[in-house]
Amino acid sequence: MQIAEIDLGKYSNRFSSYTELRLHENRSQSIVLLNGDVVSNARDTTGGVSARVFNGGTWGFSSNPDMSNDAIDGTISAATRNADFLARRCGNEDAALPLSNASADSDFSTKKTLKTQEEKIAFLTEIDNYIVSSFPDVVSRQVLLSCLDMEKKLQTSEGSNGHNVTTRSLIAVKLTTENEDKEPVELSEAIGARGQYEDVFESMDTIIPALDKLYAQLLDKKEAVQPISGYHDVILASDLAGILAHEAIGHTTEADIVRAGSVAADYLNKKVASDLITLVDFANTYEGETLPVPIYLDDEGVESLDAVIIEDGVLKSYMHNKDSAQHFGMPLTGNARAFSYTDEPLVRMRNTAILSGSSSLDEMIASIDEGYLLMRPTNGQADSTSEFMFGVQMGYEIKNGKLGKAISDTTISGVAFDMLNNVSMVSDEMVWSCAGMCGKKQPMPVGMGGPAVKTKVYIGGQ
Amino acid sequence: MSINNTEKALAEKSLVALEQSGFDRAACRVSADELHELQAENAEINLFRTNFETDISLVGIKDERKASMSINRVDDATVNDAVADLTAMAAGSSPDSAHDIAPQQSHEIFSGGIEEPDYDLMYDRVSEMQTYAAEKYPLLNLRSTGITFYKRRSCYVNTNDVCFQTNRGLYQVSISFSSKDGTDTSSMMYTGYSGYDLDTPIFEATNVDMLLQQSTEQVRTEHIPGKFQGEMIISPDCLTDFLGFLLGRIGDGSIIAGTSVFKDKLNELVANPMLSIESRPVDDALTGGYWVTGDGHQAMNSTIVDKGILKTFLLSQYGANKTGLDRAVNAGGSYCVAGGDTPYEDLVGSVKEGILITRFSGGRPNDRGDFSGIAKNSYYIKDGKLAYPIQETTVSGNMVDLLQNITGISVERLNFGSSILPWVKVSGITAS
Repeated sequence: MQIAEIDLGKYSNRFSSYTELRLHENRSQSIVLLNGDVVSNARDTTGGVSARVFNGGTWGFSSNPDMSNDAIDGTISAATRNADFLARRCGNEDAALPLSNASADSDFSTKKTLKTQEEKIAFLTEIDNYIVSSFPDVVSRQVLLSCLDMEKKLQTSEGSNGHNVTTRSLIAVKLTTENEDKEPVELSEAIGARGQYEDVFESMDTIIPALDKLYAQLLDKKEAVQPISGYHDVILASDLAGILAHEAIGHTTEADIVRAGSVAADYLNKKVASDLITLVDFANTYEGETLPVPIYLDDEGVESLDAVIIEDGVLKSYMHNKDSAQHFGMPLTGNARAFSYTDEPLVRMRNTAILSGSSSLDEMIASIDEGYLLMRPTNGQADSTSEFMFGVQMGYEIKNGKLGKAISDTTISGVAFDMLNNVSMVSDEMVWSCAGMCGKKQPMPVGMGGPAVKTKVYIGGQ
Repeated sequence: MSINNTEKALAEKSLVALEQSGFDRAACRVSADELHELQAENAEINLFRTNFETDISLVGIKDERKASMSINRVDDATVNDAVADLTAMAAGSSPDSAHDIAPQQSHEIFSGGIEEPDYDLMYDRVSEMQTYAAEKYPLLNLRSTGITFYKRRSCYVNTNDVCFQTNRGLYQVSISFSSKDGTDTSSMMYTGYSGYDLDTPIFEATNVDMLLQQSTEQVRTEHIPGKFQGEMIISPDCLTDFLGFLLGRIGDGSIIAGTSVFKDKLNELVANPMLSIESRPVDDALTGGYWVTGDGHQAMNSTIVDKGILKTFLLSQYGANKTGLDRAVNAGGSYCVAGGDTPYEDLVGSVKEGILITRFSGGRPNDRGDFSGIAKNSYYIKDGKLAYPIQETTVSGNMVDLLQNITGISVERLNFGSSILPWVKVSGITAS
């Protein structure tokens, strides 16, 4: 039986205390072409039912891949038994959670006829052929299609319910060339958006400009110099601003991290950033446009609301699940999400962004005598101290207000609130990325966005 | 550990469906997992979880065109739909003569570990850990403590008459923590291990107690005095971050693409002769091992680096067919680095100026091996002594050079269940 056909409301009489009952299926697809050969041609469908029960301040959880009536009943019973076990050992009768009652349905599945595997592989081969015919200096190439659909249906004992399908499709391209010492030099790009393959990849028209830009930068990188390690004036390009918002500030202000000792606990309603900085974790919409990871109802049955984290430089709030909202006595924000049916909801970001300013990128570059323009992030990490780092695979020197030579791969770091206080210019553009996959205990697709930002960070290098 | 034939029956039935749909060669793996987890957050036990999971992985090759699919429902209709989809996926792919399945091997049954979790003991170990930390380290916040009993029964079959049944149950323990004193906060730290029993209190396992103590020291950190080039002692907690470049660049992806800096280094010196690395998936001392590779070969232990010399790539059957090189006898992992002849205390004592690094927060090294990243939960070493915990310190270098620049390996090693690792001292690191 499909998730859409199952009525979860009929199980409400099985709930003996606060309960979340969730049907959840992830459908993923991966095709990898390595130098033209199809080295991976795979699909994965994983789903089932989970129940989470709150009793005396503790949680019981259980899951089962079987979504039959008996299995759903059994899953509720197992989760209830687990909660009872903990409540007997360490429960607190006075423990409570904030109430919520919300409903939301959304479906970002395509309405078009689904493409066959042959058509998808043919499209990837067309991309591969374009690389071979147009980019003579490339010695190795990889073209990867990655699609993920997440379908969730929720019923809580407080009456919240919803059926939501989120989708995204990405093509990641990695090009490798060789420098004059015959050493490998690589650069990669993820192209894609919210939506299923049929809605995102309609033609080569959207792919070719991104490939051409990637190759041009790869050629620049062949001649790259090592950045000079140290504290520098930098412009973090708009494609870096999202990961800046996510890693540098976002994690530090997730309420479960705050509760665990993050420095943000000491800064609420205090100035933590330049007046130019406003940072928001958007639930689903920005200026009328649906965002990369639109969430309307979280996995605790809470309506997803925008969480304004920093407003004009002042730390205003955190992102919450029910546990943390209860602990801090703050309003719910609807940030609780689970990656798989076997996972419990955690506080997760959705579409985290620094809002745009009024400067042009050219003005920002012209304002720096000696520094770097940094772009194309790789991985990143945050810490409870607000110290952050992320990898950068492309950048340029800035000398006397002009771009210079490309720089080789590096890592940038800093203390988030120091870095935000040093922001002196913010560009007027707003770039959103759909390619984020956060790794906080469970993987999770996230959206990220922002403008270019001028600040100071520490750059690793020689 | 007992063997249940439910998975075998389902795997054989699915294999028949694959053959009947026209595949020349096919394989199927059926796994049934149980997970029982007790978790505490912020020193409060707050979650008890039981998960049951089934996975059917199907592989089909027809006319040298391959496809694979994974599903987690076992009813006939779902399996038959998956086989039909797999047939269409393979038909839409392009042919590659390197695709194959494992050759005939004798049918085997492997088992290890324990059958059932002990809930009360799990609870008592977590609870005991909370009490210990609260009494001995009042500044410490145990952000999370988890004990998971994980059991997997699995059966792999293919059309070359291969049948491997496996069954393993074990405990996995993980903790993460930081410390706070007023507004001073330490970096977060985490560690974990696996084992077949819970006989040892968590705080007595591996180097847990040392890490807890260090965390409380790290609420107050200092900058290093200035940029220097010196030595670095890499803790077992983050050694795989530094060996990972080598181990990742000798697998299918980099060797087939021809982008690995080690592609021409087989049987050549790639590291200081002090370094020897084995992959030991079939070792009773390593509870995190495996008996069968993902592509259906019985796994064996192997030496990857012997006294600095690279002895094997980590190629799968596909990678071997594609490159004409030898297939590895396992799929990597379960790494054991040979211990050296220097006690840990003497390794520290031998450093004139350097860093003891316990957690590395770094960007991915590029294909040349250049790296930089932050030394977290780490110490500045001066004249043979741990001088103070450090903050905002970047270490950079090159992973290829780092292997050659090993200057010492500790006698002591830690067994995490998934690996057995010592402390390793290297020179030529830039700290700034």
